Amino acid sequence: MIEVIKPGLETSVQDYPGRLGYWNQGFPPSGPMDSWSFRLANLLVGNDVGAAGLECQYIGPTLKFNEATVIAVTGADMQAKIDGELVPLWESIAVAAGQVLEMSFAKVGVRGYIAIAGGIATEPWLNSRSTFHKAGVGGMEGHAIKAEQVIPVAAPTTTAVAGRKVIEAARPVFSVDKSWQVEVCRGPNDDWIDEAGHQRFINAEWKLSSKSDRTGFRLEGPEWTFTDKAHNKGPEHGSDPSNIIDQGYPIGAINLGGQTPIILMNDGPSMGGFINPYTVPSIAFWKLGQAKPAEILHFMVISVAEAQAIRQQINELCSEKSIVESR
Amino acid sequence: MAENVELQTSGNMWKVLVEVGQKVSQGDELFIMEVMKMEIPHAAPCDGTVTEVNVNDGDEGLDAGMVAVVIDG
Repeated sequence: MIEVIKPGLETSVQDYPGRLGYWNQGFPPSGPMDSWSFRLANLLVGNDVGAAGLECQYIGPTLKFNEATVIAVTGADMQAKIDGELVPLWESIAVAAGQVLEMSFAKVGVRGYIAIAGGIATEPWLNSRSTFHKAGVGGMEGHAIKAEQVIPVAAPTTTAVAGRKVIEAARPVFSVDKSWQVEVCRGPNDDWIDEAGHQRFINAEWKLSSKSDRTGFRLEGPEWTFTDKAHNKGPEHGSDPSNIIDQGYPIGAINLGGQTPIILMNDGPSMGGFINPYTVPSIAFWKLGQAKPAEILHFMVISVAEAQAIRQQINELCSEKSIVESR
Repeated sequence: MAENVELQTSGNMWKVLVEVGQKVSQGDELFIMEVMKMEIPHAAPCDGTVTEVNVNDGDEGLDAGMVAVVIDG
């Protein structure tokens, strides 16, 4: 069991791939925003890649371990210390009963992940332990962890070993120049944007707003322009060019409300009445999860087949092949 | 003794509540950052006089760890 001393900014229990299969009823998958770093953390401690762990955002938590265990910290560098001593990222670490893991602000990236041998054992809801804050379900009482809560951990099924490391080549590389290349696929409503609008979208520097969270990432950039389809349509679609008769949204949709694009993320809505000219494939979610407010996103169009090929590559990196034993 | 108040998170500055020369008490709010649609207040760690303010309302893309305010206590 783990005692929460300080919760951090908004630290939550997540599992991978999250709560799949309920999108048609309005429940998003939730799950870690940087599932690449998350899965590697689980592998280090001998868990299944999807086992429930903690997602730490911007400011990490302080946690006391009541039993000896093995943990791993990956993703953003939140200056993790055990009993005051800095500990390495991307490596499994032995923790003695009573030791304290203290994390502070993220220096590189913004989301850090903590995996614990055995995985977090909160009660699943609709087959997942992922926290979905908006509905207050999953995780610890449906919300971010709070001081004085005790987080249950399952007994490991295999013996976890300290000193296992993720090889350099298998780790996601975070931007250090405040700019990110983010893959997008066209559609589903790309035919509502005119050619000039598409060119502007691809060539622009899009600034990530601080009004962005696990539901949506708001972008600031140039104006959008539309095809006739957006201007000459039935009244049931709504009056703004970006309005469309209510439709289902893909996860990762770049949802255009008026002139403001919002990327719908892990906790996003499943439907609504705005167009989605582009969709960010799941392979690029980790980049969004690690980008800071005011950083710049450049979008690069790829095909669905290319996105699927990259997804396969990342899945292969998130496997035992990427782990070495250092002692 | 001068106390540096550092940004606890990367993000944008929503509101700066103090100016140079102002007397503050421990726990007074100095400035509020915004990230993930949340307000992150930063409080004075001690009583004293504000001698430096290095942030402005609306500053964007600030890095965690930056010295935002200095208090001479």
